[in-house]
Amino acid sequence: MRDYWLSRMFFDLQSPAAAAEYRADRESFLAKYPLEEPVKAALRGNDVPFLAARTNPYLLRYYFFTAGMKDGEFIRRLRDG
Amino acid sequence: MAELAGAYAASHGPLLIREWEAIPRGEQQRLSNAFLELGRRIEQAKTDVIVAVAPDHWSNFSLDHVPSVCIGVGAVNEGPPEPWMKDFPHREIPGHPGLALHLAESAMKEGFEPSLSHRLKLDHGFCIPLWRMALRKLPLVVPVIVNSIEPPLPSLERCLEWGRLLRKAIESYEEKIRVAILGTGGLSHSIGEKTMGAIYEDFDHETIRLFGAGEKELLDYLNEQLPTHGNGSEEVRNWLVAHGAASGRGFELVDYLPVPTVIVGCGFAAWRCT
Repeated sequence: MRDYWLSRMFFDLQSPAAAAEYRADRESFLAKYPLEEPVKAALRGNDVPFLAARTNPYLLRYYFFTAGMKDGEFIRRLRDG
Repeated sequence: MAELAGAYAASHGPLLIREWEAIPRGEQQRLSNAFLELGRRIEQAKTDVIVAVAPDHWSNFSLDHVPSVCIGVGAVNEGPPEPWMKDFPHREIPGHPGLALHLAESAMKEGFEPSLSHRLKLDHGFCIPLWRMALRKLPLVVPVIVNSIEPPLPSLERCLEWGRLLRKAIESYEEKIRVAILGTGGLSHSIGEKTMGAIYEDFDHETIRLFGAGEKELLDYLNEQLPTHGNGSEEVRNWLVAHGAASGRGFELVDYLPVPTVIVGCGFAAWRCT
C-alpha cells in the first residue's frame, strides 16, 4: 500500500532546498500536500512503523536521513516502533 | 562493428562514500583494491563506452512513473544529485546516443519495450563504482535503469534475457567501438525495512558460487531466496544482466566482503566475454 502524497513529499524532500524549507517550517511544508491527519501526526511523532506501511522503504530511509535521524535510531524504531 | 569488451559488477552502497572514513582500515583497503582492479581491467580493455546497469534510487522517477527498464539515450546525462556525492568529479556525463538508440531499437524488435530518457540523473548507483574505479578518462556512459526498488520488479529471467539482448545489440552496432557492461548493486543488504543492517553472508556466498555454476540453478536459488534476504539484494538483477551479456560463462569473483559499516555484503566480479 502506497500513500501517494506522503511518497511524493518524501521524493520532493530529496532536494536540498526543499529539505531546508522543511526543517525551517515543517507545518507550512506539510500544508502543501493533501496528507491525511494520521499521516501528519505520524510525521510529527516520528512514527516509523506507521509511515513504513505507507511508502517505499528507500524513500522512508531518505526522509529520516534528511530529518536528521541517525541510522541506529532509525533501525531501532523500524524494529521496535 | 562494436565489440563487447568486458562485463563487470560492483556494489554501490551509499555508506561507501558517507562512512568511508569509519570503515576499518583492512576492509577499506580491500574495497579500494577491488574497485581499482575493475577500473584497471576496464582501462586495459580499451573501453570506449560503458553500458552501466543500475536502479534508480528515486532520483529520476517518483511514483508518477516507475519504469521496469529505462535506457538513457541522451547526449549528456547529469551527475549524481545526492548532496553527499557533490565531490564526484563529473557534473555532466557524456552518453552515446547512437549506441543507446540502437540498443533501444534492437530491444523493440525483439519484443522488449524499455522506457527511454534523453536526460537522466545518474545517482550513486552509477557513480560510486565509476568514481571508486579511479578511471583516468571516463568512457562514455549509456545508462540502463533496471527497477529493483519499487515492486513489482522485472523477473530475474527477464534480466538475464536483457543481458543477452544487450550483447546481441552491441555486436550488431556498426561503429568500431569497445563496449563494457557494468552491473551495480548488491549483494545482500536491507534498506528501510525491519531487517535493515542485516548482511546475509550465506546467501551471498551461495549466490556467488552459483554465478559460476548453471543458470537454472542460479535462477531457482534466487527466485526462492531473494524475498527473505533483504530488499537491497534485489539489485542482483544488474549482475544478472552482466551475466546474460557474458552468455552465462566466465564468471570470476574479484572480491567479496561483508562490511557492517556499509551495511552491505560488498561484491565485485568480472566475466570473461570472449
